[in-house]
Amino acid sequence: MTDTPAPRFIHFLGAFAAGGLITLMLLTNGTLAQYGTLLFSSFVPHLTGTVLAIVILLILRPARAMPQRPPLWAYLGGVSGGLTVIASSAAMNSALALSGTIALGLAGQIMFSLVADARGLFGLPQRMPTLRDLAGLSLIIAGALVIIFFGGTP
Amino acid sequence: MIFVISVAVGAGVLVGLSRQLNGRLALSTNAMESSFWNHIVGLVFVSIAALAIGGMFEGAPMEAPWWAYLGGPIGFLFIAAGSWAINRIGAAQTAMLIIAGQMISSVLLDAAMGVDGNLCARALGVTLILGGMWVTRAAKVKS
Repeated sequence: MTDTPAPRFIHFLGAFAAGGLITLMLLTNGTLAQYGTLLFSSFVPHLTGTVLAIVILLILRPARAMPQRPPLWAYLGGVSGGLTVIASSAAMNSALALSGTIALGLAGQIMFSLVADARGLFGLPQRMPTLRDLAGLSLIIAGALVIIFFGGTP
Repeated sequence: MIFVISVAVGAGVLVGLSRQLNGRLALSTNAMESSFWNHIVGLVFVSIAALAIGGMFEGAPMEAPWWAYLGGPIGFLFIAAGSWAINRIGAAQTAMLIIAGQMISSVLLDAAMGVDGNLCARALGVTLILGGMWVTRAAKVKS
């Protein structure tokens, strides 16, 4: 087990800002899907994201953290991401609609991340969520549900 | 109904799984390389799906506004940020902060774009989320 640095404000800010990026992506990719197909609206961001990644890696040449190669399965995050698009669009077109799909998706994401932390799944550090973590989590979920189900047109 | 509920929950599990795998890759490499592999592997996956299903270029995608094509660079940053954060604050806190950021920014975007909505519910939701972030953050300052 490797030592991880104590959480700092910058880590919280980074993750919070990443959430803002999702909103922008929903806007860009959702708009693209209004003009083209769902596949196209997933293909384009993967393509342009790959091109940008290559340019950035060539310019910055960031060093690898460990000399050992990562396990091959660690490269499969993109497959899981691609399957997410299929699963969520299928759910969105059902009786669940957009709000139900988002709410249940949040539930799935939270459940997975709690188990992943508690068990240290896929080689990431194990950490038991504290009571305060769970209290904060409950408040955030409650707030998200209020916005999803009651924040729309009155 | 049980089936579509499982599919929707499964979509969320896949989001968490993806972040866990990308985080593990970043542990050996770095956040930017992890984001690169996520995108190129995803690109291959989507391309295979497109070839199997067909009709990817139907509709009028070229008539979309130019900014609709900027999802890729934003996604590159998003995956890199998630891979960076998960190794420092864990999967649960990364997930809850990303959700908090997504919900609050979507309320702000709706307000900026003049989307009709229930202002009281939105304000209550944002307050609950900020309260939740404060509770979690307070715990970390003390420990």
